[in-house]
Amino acid sequence: MTKFWELYKSGVWVEPFLLLSIFLFVTTSFILYLLIIKSRSSNIRKERLRVEYGILIEKLLFSIVFQDIPFSGISEDPEYRRLSKNSFFREVLMEYIIDLHKNYQGVHAEKLEEFYKESGLINDSLKKLKSMKWELKCKAITELSELNITSAFKSIIKVSKGRNKTLKITALNAGIKLAGTKAIIHLTKHTNPIDDWTQINIINAFKKHDIGDTEGVELLLESQNTTVIVLGLKLIEELKLTQKIPYVTQLVNKAPNTLVKYEAQNLLQVLSI
Amino acid sequence: MTFFNSEITFFIHIYLLLILGYAILIMSSYLILAHLSTRALKEYLKKNSFVDYNVLLTSQFAPKLSLIAPAYNEAFTIEENVKSLLSLNYNNYDVIVVNDGSKDNSMEILIKTYDLVLTELDIQPKIKTKKIKGVYTSRNAAFKKLIVVDKENGGKADALNVGLNIAQHPYVVCIDVDCILDKDSLLKLAKPFLESHGKRIIATGGVVRIANQCIIKNGRLVEVNIPDLMLPRIQVLEYLRAFLLGRMAWGRLDGLLLISGAFGAFDKEIALLAGGYDTKTVGEDMELVVRMRRYMLENKVPYAISYIPDPLCWTEAPEDFKIFKKQRSRWMRGTIETLSLHKKMFLNPKYKLLGMLSIPYWTLFEFLAPAIEFTGIAITVVFFIFGLIHWHFFLLLLLFVYCFAIMFSVIALYSEERTYHKYPKQIDFFKLLLAAFIEPFYFHPLAMYAALIGYKEKIMGTKGWGEMTRKGFTKK
Repeated sequence: MTKFWELYKSGVWVEPFLLLSIFLFVTTSFILYLLIIKSRSSNIRKERLRVEYGILIEKLLFSIVFQDIPFSGISEDPEYRRLSKNSFFREVLMEYIIDLHKNYQGVHAEKLEEFYKESGLINDSLKKLKSMKWELKCKAITELSELNITSAFKSIIKVSKGRNKTLKITALNAGIKLAGTKAIIHLTKHTNPIDDWTQINIINAFKKHDIGDTEGVELLLESQNTTVIVLGLKLIEELKLTQKIPYVTQLVNKAPNTLVKYEAQNLLQVLSI
Repeated sequence: MTFFNSEITFFIHIYLLLILGYAILIMSSYLILAHLSTRALKEYLKKNSFVDYNVLLTSQFAPKLSLIAPAYNEAFTIEENVKSLLSLNYNNYDVIVVNDGSKDNSMEILIKTYDLVLTELDIQPKIKTKKIKGVYTSRNAAFKKLIVVDKENGGKADALNVGLNIAQHPYVVCIDVDCILDKDSLLKLAKPFLESHGKRIIATGGVVRIANQCIIKNGRLVEVNIPDLMLPRIQVLEYLRAFLLGRMAWGRLDGLLLISGAFGAFDKEIALLAGGYDTKTVGEDMELVVRMRRYMLENKVPYAISYIPDPLCWTEAPEDFKIFKKQRSRWMRGTIETLSLHKKMFLNPKYKLLGMLSIPYWTLFEFLAPAIEFTGIAITVVFFIFGLIHWHFFLLLLLFVYCFAIMFSVIALYSEERTYHKYPKQIDFFKLLLAAFIEPFYFHPLAMYAALIGYKEKIMGTKGWGEMTRKGFTKK
C-alpha cells in the first residue's frame, strides 16, 4: 500500500497515463468515424445495387411467370449468369420471389416454386437451415415455408422444439402453413409454458393461412400443460370451431384447475350463442 | 510551516486521487453500459426482424390498453393531437384525455370537435384526486374510443391518477399529449406484456427522440431533421446517448429506474396497488417506477420491466436557455425527491440489483455529479489563485475528459448508424458530429448550471413544474 501511495505521490505515472488514454480515445473516435463513413457508403452502394438488380430480377421473374420461359432459358441470360453466384444478388432475388409468391396463387405461384428449386436457391435455404446461427435458420424457415417446400416440414418441426423463442414461433408458423394442425400436435407433450405471444402467433398462423382442416386441435385440450390447453381453447374460440364443443364440455368436467375450467365454461357460452 | 505545507500537499493528493477515481469510475461505467447496450440492441434488432406485430392488430387476445393523456392549456394543438392518438395502429384501446383545469379553451375545442356530451360513468376512485367536473364521451361513433375528463387543476400527476381511476383496461399508457407517436408504437409497447417468462411485466417503455425541425403531417412524423440551433441539436445527441447507450443496458440488467413520462405503459393493477402517481413530486414518472418496483420486491412477486429501444415517441426539446433551465432543474428536483423518498433502498440488499446498483448509480452519477463537478471547478479556481495549478497536467486532464466526451458521442452516433439509421442525410450526421465537439464547452456547463439551480430550488422548497412553453412542430 505504501509503495502504491509513493508511486501515486511521485506523479510519474500521470503524464503517460493521460497521454495514453487521450491517444486511445482519439484513435477509437477516429476508427468509429471511419466505420460510420464505411457503413454509410456501403448502405448507399447496396441501395444502388438493389435498384439495379431489381430491374433485372423483375424482368426475369416476369418472363418466368407470364411468358412461360423455362429455367434453362433464364440461365442462358448473360446478366443472370454473371450475377447468379453473387450472394447479394441471390439475397435480393430471394426477397423478390417471396414478395411475388405472396401475391400469386395457382400456376403462377407454382412457376415461382419451380424456379426456386431449379435455380438452386432452395439449396441456399437448406444450407441456412443447418446453420448454427438461429437468425439464419429463421430466414431459411421463412423461405422454405413461403415457397411451400413440404419436404422440409420435419426439419422445421424439429427446429420448433428448440429453446429459442423467436425461432420456435417462426418454425411453428411455417409448420402450420405447410401442414396445418400436424405442426402443433407435438405441443401436447410440451412441458414448458407457452406464453401469450407465442399463442397469439399460432392462432394468427391458422387464420392467416386459412387452415380449414382443424382435425387434432382438440388433442391440445388433453395436454398436461395448462398453457397448451389454454392455447387449444383460444384456437377453438378464434376459429369458431363449434364442432369441438363436445371436447370442451369434456374438459369442463375434468379440468386440471379452476382457471381452465372457467375458461372452458366461458368458451362454451361463446360457442353456444 | 514545512509541516503545514506537507499537510496541504497530502490533501491535494487525496483530492486529486478522489477526482481521478470518480472520473475513471464514471467513464468506465459509461463504457460498460455502452457495451451492454450495443449487445442488447443487436440482439433485439435481430429478434425484431422476425416479429410480425400485425398479429396483435387482428387478435382479440391483444392486451387491452387505456391511453391517458393529461392536457393543460393545450388549446393550440389539442384537436390534432387527439386525432393522432385516435388513429394509432391498435384495436384494443381507448383514449382518456384529462383536461387538468386548463385556463384556455381546450375543453370547448374538444367538445365541439369531437361532439362530446356529458356522460355518467361509474367511477370508484382508488386514488384520491382533485374534483372531477365532468366526464364526456362522443355522440359520433367514429370517436367511440375517446373519453374526456374535465377536472380541477392538480398537476400532471393528479391528472394521471384520474386517468388511472377511470381506465377500464388492465394496462395504461401514460403519454404527453403533445408527443408525436409512431403509428406502431402501441403494438410495440403492448407485446412485452404477453411475454411474461414467469415474471409479471409491470411496465414497458420506449425511446423518446427529439422532433425539433422535423416535419409533421397529420400528427405523424414524416421527415426527420437535425435542428440548426445548437441547444436542441445537442439534445438530440444527448438523447441518443441516454436511450441507446444507457437505458438499453439498464433494461437488460433489469435495473431501469425511469420510464419516460412522455410515453410508458404500466400494469394498472400494480400501479394502483403501489399508490399511483405521487402528486408531491415533480419527478412523478421516475418515482412511480421506483415505487412499483419496490412494491413488487417487498411483496416478493417476480416481476420485470421491459424496455423497447425503438424510437416510438418524438418530443419537442427546449430551444432557449430559459425553458431548458426550467426543465433540467425540475429533472434534478425530481431525482432528488425520488431518491430521498426511497433512501431506504440505497445499498439495501433486500432490494437486490435496484438497491445495490441502480439507486447508488443514480445517486453518485446523476444526483451528485453536478455538485462534484462544481466543487472541482471551485477548487481549481482556488488552486489557480494560490498558484498551485500545474498547467501542463491541468491541460492534459482537460484534454483527457474532452476526448472521452467526444468518443462517447461518436459511439452513440455509430450505434445509431448501425441500428435505426434515422438520420440518413450526410449533412445531419456532420451536424451531430460538430455538436459532439461543441457540447463540452457549451451545453455541458449549461446543464450543470441548471442542475445546480435544481439543488437550490429543492433547498428553497420550490414546488410545481413552472410554465413550460413550447414552440410547436413544423407542419407540412
